[in-house]
Amino acid sequence: MSIPSSSPERESSAGVQLECPSSPPGLDADPPSTGSPVLSPDSSSHDAVLSAPAASPADSENLSPDELELLAKLEEQNRLLEADSKSMRSMSGSRRNSGSSLVSSSSASSNLSHLEEDTWILWGRIVNEWEEWRRKKDKLLKELIRKGIPHHFRAIVWQLLGNATDMPVKNQYSELLKMSSPCEKLIRRDIARTYPEHEFFKGQDSLGQEVLFNVMKAYSLVDREVGYCQGSAFIVGLLLMQMPEEEAFCVFVRLMQEYRLRELFKPSMAELGLCIYQFEYLLQEQLPELNVHFRSQSFHTSMYASSWFLTLFLTFLPLPVATRIFDIFMYEGLEIIFRVGLAILQYNQTDLIQLDMEGMSQHFQKVIPHQFDSCPDKLILRAYQVKYNPKRMKNAYLHLLILFVQRLRTENRLLKQRIETLEKVREQLPGQVTRAQEAEENYVIKRELAVVRQQCNTANESLEKAQETIRELQQQTYTEQFVNNLQTQLEQSRLREAELLGALKEMQDKVLDLEKRSSCLPDENNMAALQEEVKQMKLRELETLQSFREMQDAVTDLNQRWQTCLSSRVGNIYSESPKKNAMNELQDKLMTVRLREAQAQAELREVKLKNQIHSKLIGRHEQERSALQDRLQMLANQNKALQAQLNEMKRKQAEWDCKSKEEVMAVRLREADSMAVMAELRQKIAELEIQKEEGLIKGQLNHSDSRQYITQLRDQIAELKNEVRRLGFSGAELCQESDEMRHDRSDCRHFDSNQICIRIGVTYICIGRD
Amino acid sequence: METIWLYQFRLIVIGDSTVGKSCLIRRFTEGRFAQVSDPTVGVDFFSRLVEIEPGKRIKLQIWDTAGQERFRSITRAYYRNSVGGLLLFDITNRRSFQNVHNWLEEARSHVQPHSIVFLLVGHKCDLEAQRQVTQHEAEKLAGAYGMRYVETSARDAINVEKAFVDLTREIFELVRSGDIQIQDGWEGVKSGFVPNMVHSSEEVTKGSRQCFC
Repeated sequence: MSIPSSSPERESSAGVQLECPSSPPGLDADPPSTGSPVLSPDSSSHDAVLSAPAASPADSENLSPDELELLAKLEEQNRLLEADSKSMRSMSGSRRNSGSSLVSSSSASSNLSHLEEDTWILWGRIVNEWEEWRRKKDKLLKELIRKGIPHHFRAIVWQLLGNATDMPVKNQYSELLKMSSPCEKLIRRDIARTYPEHEFFKGQDSLGQEVLFNVMKAYSLVDREVGYCQGSAFIVGLLLMQMPEEEAFCVFVRLMQEYRLRELFKPSMAELGLCIYQFEYLLQEQLPELNVHFRSQSFHTSMYASSWFLTLFLTFLPLPVATRIFDIFMYEGLEIIFRVGLAILQYNQTDLIQLDMEGMSQHFQKVIPHQFDSCPDKLILRAYQVKYNPKRMKNAYLHLLILFVQRLRTENRLLKQRIETLEKVREQLPGQVTRAQEAEENYVIKRELAVVRQQCNTANESLEKAQETIRELQQQTYTEQFVNNLQTQLEQSRLREAELLGALKEMQDKVLDLEKRSSCLPDENNMAALQEEVKQMKLRELETLQSFREMQDAVTDLNQRWQTCLSSRVGNIYSESPKKNAMNELQDKLMTVRLREAQAQAELREVKLKNQIHSKLIGRHEQERSALQDRLQMLANQNKALQAQLNEMKRKQAEWDCKSKEEVMAVRLREADSMAVMAELRQKIAELEIQKEEGLIKGQLNHSDSRQYITQLRDQIAELKNEVRRLGFSGAELCQESDEMRHDRSDCRHFDSNQICIRIGVTYICIGRD
Repeated sequence: METIWLYQFRLIVIGDSTVGKSCLIRRFTEGRFAQVSDPTVGVDFFSRLVEIEPGKRIKLQIWDTAGQERFRSITRAYYRNSVGGLLLFDITNRRSFQNVHNWLEEARSHVQPHSIVFLLVGHKCDLEAQRQVTQHEAEKLAGAYGMRYVETSARDAINVEKAFVDLTREIFELVRSGDIQIQDGWEGVKSGFVPNMVHSSEEVTKGSRQCFC
């Protein structure tokens, strides 16, 4: 941008009539109701440069009159622009729309464009004389920034404000692009979701997305602790809309490091909690009814305000408004975020108080973002009407620090005490500590060894006993053999029995046969009968003998008679031959009968004999059989008894086995226990040693380094404590229940009156108020 | 203004970054699908009425959370007051499925002494070609944790209603059976005032407030 050369002349002609001290009319409209006389910026962000306290804007400045006039004109211009809504909307931060001028409204009057030019000229001068403006005319600079930096100047002014013009890290940028970052994947996925509606970033291969990716990646490599955090891309995107990537990268690095943003984006996000706490403190102070309403609806601050701090309103408000806020942020730091936030709440107070939580969320999502579309200046105006006492904010911050310091101090004290006691012990017993330790160790080990030995002994004893029993059982195993033998004998006897039974059967069969045979005889097999028969046979024999003899006698008689006859008659041979024949026949018959008798007798005798033999045999066999049966039973009984014994023996053996196993296991367990106890003791000793050393070192450090610091802090703390009381706090305390899930504000009552509980990191701090 | 809903349930939607939590919720509550939208910074809030049975309307308050791990310190505060939750993972992103376990642990450790009824949701099921997690193993995981499993797609509006309605029904049954109770100071379940309808906890308090003076 070239500065027209006619400016110097205009300056001189502008009018010397304006007097310095009296505020020109334009400046009156400038928020006089910024009631708080203290306009000092957040000192945590800008150190030396902006520490000058000031009263009203234009007092102590050497403003050239024309500058004042310009300021007045700017004011007017703003008012006019407020009325003309169109022009405001065109003030987009798009780099693509760089062709459009600052005011593209159709109703651009010559006055406005004149003022425009003046503004541009002014800013051109500011940029050229930056150092001077920054040091001497910072009040005016501030006012000008609040009016909004002209679109085309943003790139350079932001770099100047952030002091990012000559950074060494800029040279590293190209190198960083070649490296790969662990957050790359995450960044990639989020890039497409950053400013998705915006021309510059639309489309996957758009230039905007590419440079955004580059800068995020480069930053994640430069600051590994923060890496990549969702939300930071919006800030970088805004920067990229104004300037090339190297410059955007430098400004972003500055923002993160100097403007407290880095703390916000760290993985712990503790700083965000702090900001939320500070914001709540403001809310409580300035909009108490709204605060009460929020609490009653459980509408937590983090629900709406998180993105305000993390993205500096870039996701909440439309770009034109947010860019204006960003201008101020570059100069004044996070304070503007608090102010704007509170202004928004104040503006919507009446609406919000009537809504429940859901309604409020809807209101925040849909209504509020577009409330200041047409007049962002209004918002900024209201922001500066908010009573923001940075000192109080700092005090709040310091309260927390006090508590932290208190906590550290108590810990320190405890550690010191511990060190002292340990040292005392150490002094009194120079080498005995280690010796005592060793002795203790030894004693413990010995005792445990003794215990273990005893256990071993008992185990051994039981093992021996078990072995004895095993041996006994083994000795008795011959009974097994005996039993086996018996069994085999039994089997054999059974076999024999079977055989005998078989033989018996055979004999019985034979007997039956014989009986049958004997039953073929006329008489039955009855010995007595037989004997009777024999007798009868004998009788018949006798009878027949008798008859035979009689016959013989007869025969002899006859013979005699015959002979006599013969003698008498020699001629009666014929007649006597029949008699002879008859006698011969009779004799023959006799002979045959005798023969038959003899045969019969013989047979009878045979049968008799056989019967006798057989009966004797039968008797003997029966005897044998009964004897065998008895023996069999006896053997069976013995067998049973032996088997029972065997089972019992087996059972006993199994029992002994189990018992011995159990005992062995128990011994092992006890051994393991004792070893574990030993290990624990050793570990404890090691821990104690470490703790002792830690304490020593800490004590040394604390002693040497921070004595001064502690005294300083002590003074500060005393001062602040007084302030605390003055400011109306009843005190401050660390809440023991610091874990979020157990900390319920309604339950936590450290103070009788109202209190705020806020979480910082993992601690809760409850601050009571009167 | 007369309330037309029986109960109000507060649900929380958790899962890794970019699995599609915001999209799913927007599809459900606003009926639209945005191809790209801002990453959730912190928490977002949505609500909708569902009718699980004719005449039975439940109001759902849905919290949309940021998925990036460092935001857990902010989102932790919301588990305690939620009665139900959708645990989302992206079926085309195996890592998001593996982190389901972590999310569950996170939720369970911060919700004591209450408990949350969860539904496991496999999102982006329209991208079948890039699937990295099978339905079967997801069902197995859900079964192991005692949750149901649904596959959804906000883009093609698959099972979006079903996911929310199923979860709501499940919670409704538990409330009806008394396993989940309305408690003072707990935002998870609130009862709407419907005349002639008795809620067990309200009856008790009503009774105690009677005054015969």
